[in-house]
Amino acid sequence: MRDKILNSIRQTVMAILTIIVALIIGAVLVSLSGNSPAEAYLTLFHGAFGSAQRMSEVFVKMIPLCVMAFGVSVAFKANLWNIGGSGQFIMGAICSVLVGLYMGLPSAVAIPVSIIAAMIGGGLWAGFAGWLKTRFNANEVITTLMLNYIATYFLAYLIYGPMMDPGGSLPQTKQIAESLRLPLFASGMRVHMGILLIIVLLVFMLFFWKSIFGFKVDLVGKGEKIATCSGISVKKTIVCTMLISGAITGLAGWNEVYGVQYRLLEGISSSYGNISVVVALLGGLNPIGITIASFFFSALLVGGATMQRMTEVPYSIVDIIEGLIIVFVIARTAFDLKIFRKHNGKEKRRC
Amino acid sequence: MLSNIFTFGFLISLLASTIRLATPILLPALGQIFTQRAGILNLNVEGTMTIGAVAGFAVAYKTGSLWLGLLGGMFFGMLWSAIMAWLSVNMRANQVIAGTGLNILGAGVAVYVYRIIFGIQSLPPQVTPFPTVNVPLLSKIPVIGQIFFQHNILVYFAYIMVFVTWFILDKTVFGLKIKAVGENPRAADSKGISVAKMRYAAILLGGVYAGAAGAFMSTAYMNMFTEAIVSGRGFIAVSVVIFARFIPVRAMWGALMFGFATALQMRLQALGINVANQLMLMLPYVMTIIALIIASKKAEFPSAYCLPYSRMER
Repeated sequence: MRDKILNSIRQTVMAILTIIVALIIGAVLVSLSGNSPAEAYLTLFHGAFGSAQRMSEVFVKMIPLCVMAFGVSVAFKANLWNIGGSGQFIMGAICSVLVGLYMGLPSAVAIPVSIIAAMIGGGLWAGFAGWLKTRFNANEVITTLMLNYIATYFLAYLIYGPMMDPGGSLPQTKQIAESLRLPLFASGMRVHMGILLIIVLLVFMLFFWKSIFGFKVDLVGKGEKIATCSGISVKKTIVCTMLISGAITGLAGWNEVYGVQYRLLEGISSSYGNISVVVALLGGLNPIGITIASFFFSALLVGGATMQRMTEVPYSIVDIIEGLIIVFVIARTAFDLKIFRKHNGKEKRRC
Repeated sequence: MLSNIFTFGFLISLLASTIRLATPILLPALGQIFTQRAGILNLNVEGTMTIGAVAGFAVAYKTGSLWLGLLGGMFFGMLWSAIMAWLSVNMRANQVIAGTGLNILGAGVAVYVYRIIFGIQSLPPQVTPFPTVNVPLLSKIPVIGQIFFQHNILVYFAYIMVFVTWFILDKTVFGLKIKAVGENPRAADSKGISVAKMRYAAILLGGVYAGAAGAFMSTAYMNMFTEAIVSGRGFIAVSVVIFARFIPVRAMWGALMFGFATALQMRLQALGINVANQLMLMLPYVMTIIALIIASKKAEFPSAYCLPYSRMER
């Protein structure tokens, strides 16, 4: 237990150090462009936390980031590199909109059904990649990447074609009925009850990693041989892991539709797919770590947008900071592994 | 409406733009054949191309020489992929994560550098692009000349590289060594081939190709630099390599297929015809998955694909 606490403290310190170094390099770059780093970061901070309005925006962006990072972290733990978050997000959103727009259910029924639909949509999209991996040994990195594009074009097809809002000329669907929308916390702000999703999923994730299946996922991640020797059906676990991973990610799509956009539109998945990968890794695949990391990144995104508007500093500095963080996390993990490797032989990991 | 589509002029322009649009996919794909054959899955092509695009554009703009721009794009593309090489060879990092991270970083750095060099201007700075080179005699042939022999020099260059890449890969010792470290790094190592060096070479070479493709985008296609200049072509290139099962000529067919889908969509849009072109754009990706299934069955992947190598492990 004591080791565990020490370990998580060490991890937290490392994560914070990583962020600080990235911010320092960012500051150097800002001053290279002839701006004041202090001013830039202050604007960024102010832009994220300066008013209740902006805080609300931070939470609006935090929900999908956190939920998606939870989703991909399940697959990552099993050493399955599911980078198809945005595709699963889109399929979840599409399925949930289908329920909201066309099934005509009373809202008490429609909301749970739409949640289930989103989970099925996202889950099957990822599960398909898992099945391809077990059945055909198809690399899940490539298949999930391809499925991202297929989902993106499928969404475009729907909103330019059969599901386009007949009342308008914009490529988007009709809005879902007001009775279906997630209630807002305060009028004039976009933050909505979807925030509860983070809490529910956080609890679920904490229990999940304590459950038998969570343990199996972890074992598969440790290596196929170890898992097989422990009597685990690796193939079944891989498909189930991807199903769960995609189902959680699909929920983020549901949240975006029912809480923020109320309809399908192009680019609904934003850049959440990529950033959630960074969030999951920075959070050390740990549910609590992910929650904190998603809050940090969301603040960075919202604050960065304000910074670009208020100062001469371009938004791309946010991308640079994100990218640096992920590179540092990788380098750090590599060092950790080197120390680890001296003590016991570790099975090779293929990505 | 349909009569508009099936005119001769439409077909010719469609095929000509297919060839042109395939170029920025073909070049990075050829480079990635080296990289992936050496056992490295480099998802960072997208970022490398963006870096190549900004470097190529900036050098061409500042020096007034498009050729220097191309060299600049290739050089900085190589430099950028060196980070990927360091992470995947020295740090033995997970290649997917390293690639994803470097993509985000690359996009940020490219746009930032562009802002530092050019500032904010009401009109985006432009370069005069590589001119169209009509191949003597051949370009005079009706139809065929218009489709194949009226492009800018980089387009010809890319298709010549198909042959060059095949030659290097299949007919030289260097190519053989690259394939060896991808198939069986331990055996290669025991024969005195430095796995790290060959993998570095393969990744850097891939970076040079990707950088050239980026410079093509900014100096021969768009004539300027924008944030979304590469818009997924790097990822398409990665999938083309797998679709082609690591063979240069097949990569050319793959790139042409993607080029055709894009060209058809653009031409139809120009005519104002609303077909469900999204489904058509989706097709190449579906075919990549199918190709992956077939390729996986035949086990044509390099055996050490995506596996870091260390002498200390067995």
